[in-house]
Amino acid sequence: MRITRRHLLASIGGASALAALPGLPAFAQERTIRHFWWGNPTRDKNTFAVIDLFQKAHPDIKVSGETIGWGDYWTKMATQTAGGNMADVIQMAHTFIHEYVGRGAIKPLDEYVGNGISLDHYDDGANEVGTIDGQLYGINIGSTTQAIPYNIKAFEDAGVTADLLGWTTEDFADACAKITEASGGAMRGSEDLSLYIENLEVWVRSTGRDLYAPDGGLEMTEEDVRSYWEFWGGLRDDGIVEGKDATVILDKGMAELGITRGTTAMTFRYANQVGAVQSLMTDPVGAAMVPQRPGTSNGHYVLPSMFLCLTRDAKDIDAAAAYIDYWISNPDALKALGIDRGIPPSQLGRDAIAPTLSEVDQNVVAFFGGIQDKVGPVPNATPKGAGEVRDAFMRTGTEVVLGNMPADEAAGRFIQDAEAILIRANR
Amino acid sequence: MLYPLIWLFASSLKPENEIFGSLDLWPSKVDWSNYTEGWNALPVSFTVFYKNSAIVTVLSVIGNLLSCSFAAYAFARLKFNGRTFLFALMMMTMMLPYHVVLIPQYVLFLNLGWVDTYLPLIVPRFLAADGFFIFLMVQFFRQIPRELDEAAMIDGCSPFKIYWAIILPLSLPAMGTAAIFSLIWVWEDFLAPLIYLNDINSYTVPLALRLFVDQEGQSAFGQMFAMSVLSLVPVLIFFVAFQKLIIRGIATSGMK
Amino acid sequence: MRRFIRRNAAGYFFLSPWLLGFGLLALGPILASLYLSFTRYDMVSAPVWDGLGNYHYMLEYDRRFWKALEVTFTFVALSVPLRLAMALGVAMLLDKGLRTIGLYRAIFYLPSLLGASIAIALLWREMFGIDGVVNQVLAVFGIEGKGWITDPDTSLYTIVVLAMWQFGSPMLIFLAGLRGIPRDLYEAAEIDGTSKWRQFWRITLPMLAPVVFFNLVLQTIEAFKTFTSAFIISNGTGAPADSLLFYTVYLFNEAFKFFRMGYASALAWVLLIIIAAFTALAFATSKYWVHYENERD
Repeated sequence: MRITRRHLLASIGGASALAALPGLPAFAQERTIRHFWWGNPTRDKNTFAVIDLFQKAHPDIKVSGETIGWGDYWTKMATQTAGGNMADVIQMAHTFIHEYVGRGAIKPLDEYVGNGISLDHYDDGANEVGTIDGQLYGINIGSTTQAIPYNIKAFEDAGVTADLLGWTTEDFADACAKITEASGGAMRGSEDLSLYIENLEVWVRSTGRDLYAPDGGLEMTEEDVRSYWEFWGGLRDDGIVEGKDATVILDKGMAELGITRGTTAMTFRYANQVGAVQSLMTDPVGAAMVPQRPGTSNGHYVLPSMFLCLTRDAKDIDAAAAYIDYWISNPDALKALGIDRGIPPSQLGRDAIAPTLSEVDQNVVAFFGGIQDKVGPVPNATPKGAGEVRDAFMRTGTEVVLGNMPADEAAGRFIQDAEAILIRANR
Repeated sequence: MLYPLIWLFASSLKPENEIFGSLDLWPSKVDWSNYTEGWNALPVSFTVFYKNSAIVTVLSVIGNLLSCSFAAYAFARLKFNGRTFLFALMMMTMMLPYHVVLIPQYVLFLNLGWVDTYLPLIVPRFLAADGFFIFLMVQFFRQIPRELDEAAMIDGCSPFKIYWAIILPLSLPAMGTAAIFSLIWVWEDFLAPLIYLNDINSYTVPLALRLFVDQEGQSAFGQMFAMSVLSLVPVLIFFVAFQKLIIRGIATSGMK
Repeated sequence: MRRFIRRNAAGYFFLSPWLLGFGLLALGPILASLYLSFTRYDMVSAPVWDGLGNYHYMLEYDRRFWKALEVTFTFVALSVPLRLAMALGVAMLLDKGLRTIGLYRAIFYLPSLLGASIAIALLWREMFGIDGVVNQVLAVFGIEGKGWITDPDTSLYTIVVLAMWQFGSPMLIFLAGLRGIPRDLYEAAEIDGTSKWRQFWRITLPMLAPVVFFNLVLQTIEAFKTFTSAFIISNGTGAPADSLLFYTVYLFNEAFKFFRMGYASALAWVLLIIIAAFTALAFATSKYWVHYENERD
């Protein structure tokens, strides 16, 4: 009986286990790299198409494509990092890149730029956010910016005529009131964005400061947070944004947004996600700028929605560099990738995808073009612990939304918590 | 009781933009395309995922039943030094949250060269890694009258013979229960395949289902729901077939 | 020595797969996590020895640790008895009345099959939301509902309801146990004219005690470790206002979201001690109420 068991195991696991062992003679000539990204059905198909194209051009390099959804990606990434078994090439998000770079899990790319990887065709400044402490760690594979996706039909029905590429918070409040009224209260103007720190970021930046200081401390102030929460509290009291029950659900997926459910006309997302919002709705969707307080500006900035990074554990770096270069420069590859990861940060890329754009994509591209002269500089680097500060912001803000704590008290508490978090994360 | 299931099934028949936008439970127009398209919507077909899941599940269930009943027999029926201590250790393995042993275990399997194979999913099951089943069987084995063992022992039966000819046949309800749980849990297991399988061609069904939904971007909820409904089918068939074991076991065992 | 071998040989032979698995696959990682609990370990750089630092911080400064304990203890205290009562009740119904209809058992088990799916999270928020089915039903009785799942005062109870709804596995184990009770005991009781209620207390419960004990211990362990339902329903955050901050949700976030695997390991070992204390208590009291068939040793 036990022989059978062992026999079974050997036949099932043995073959693949052998294949996984590095350096066996039969596979020695073959160069292999692993590419790991978080995906969805569209992105996965596109990316595997690029892998196929690449392998036709480079038959000597085998690329193993590895994919999983966003939430699970980071669990697996952390485990692989801890095990010293990261994929050679990985996809990174701006929310996590500093955590990984700061701990030495990602290799700088400077010595390969112009020497295997060509970035000549990139827009000026496109790789600024991925450059940390003077070295390039993450290549921009799609630009994006903060945005307010809005229901075009609801705006028309309510007769909202504000300039969506330059409106103020007052225009915004006015639009919310009109939409709520026109729908008889069935559709509120917007989700309550009190708990979106990404939206607070625009609020803070429009006064010329950032969330974080260059030394990794806080640059936002108690006053910033208090005024932000009070602004949204006012809209909440007027009943022109969604009520507390919809607001306190944190980190909503696309399917739970007020706009996709038809309970609001607006929400907050990044511009590259507007197409995904549209896919869950029947009414047409457009992108507006985040409204800024009268007399302030430049809160937006252009950031990569995703980076391509080379990891500490990469072995065949030449093969990985060839793959990265193909990915970001080959017109066929760029065309296959489409706009799913954001707007290509080069004219070459934009030309490649131009014929393939859907209507909503065209709107996004037009939006992105329209705001170019209204964006501010890239922010200071995000310190380690920023993710935890984000959670604390949502947690404390929830108390305000629920009416358990006044905005000023909560703002003071949040700033205190955030400072403690940053100290603990960076000791 | 069943409302959630109806909701799930109804959602699988809706077009993407109707699933969350509309409050109606039933779709305006029944549409099976989520099933037909969902099967091949991912870079690898669901035929492959089902095959992978079947391999892992069948071997795991066999492993669980064999190895856990071995251990349970020892704990419930045999006397040996250190029994209480080892039993306490076994219970302890169930109490530690899995997330903190994940990384040391990953490092271990990586060093064995097992990552990206099914070995980390299957081998532990042949080594009685799941204390739940051991404890379950212990409780049921202890219910079997001891006179049966003792009589067999006097007749010169070896402990193995007693295990095989007396304990197992008298424990069919317990074994049936263990088989059902084992199958369902392995079939639905998500974390271990997530961590240990890299190549999409080796993914199991629950892992594949996670490829449909991106909280941050394009998703295919309708197809995800459709494939979720389908993934319940093999489990249900197995359930209906094996629960007979629980019900019939006693009737045929001749036990009072 | 030979006597020692002879006395132990059979036991260790049957235990050998488990011993092998425990020694080779489980023990190392368990000890590693114990070691890591005394370190600061961000999973990328090497662990740094920190003595009792993690434990000190946890007990002295960490408000969320205490909050997580409170949430988890409340959940355990509510869900374990309710779930077991539900499971036992349905199992007895199925055992007596609906014995021949396999489909019923399948239907009662179905909710448990959906346990970990994303669909459940969406659905639970839908059902217990302000416009959800629950409130629609309550409205029929003239009760004004609220956002059950979004109000920190009630959100935990929706998870308790979920745990009750997914009573399939303890139910099945009860059912298997009930099938093992010899029928003639009941027949004799019928002849004596014993009421159904007394039959339950005099026959069913005592005969079922080993299975009740198993379910009690296992359900308690599982309830303390509850992760998936709370995690998916709160989108991994424990929201609203930390009312769903189950212990293991907190632990997971500390480890994988905030890169504090050392601290998470310390949290895990504290949980282990708590669970072990409860389990030991259950075992200690079991000799007063759990009696095994012909148990002599």
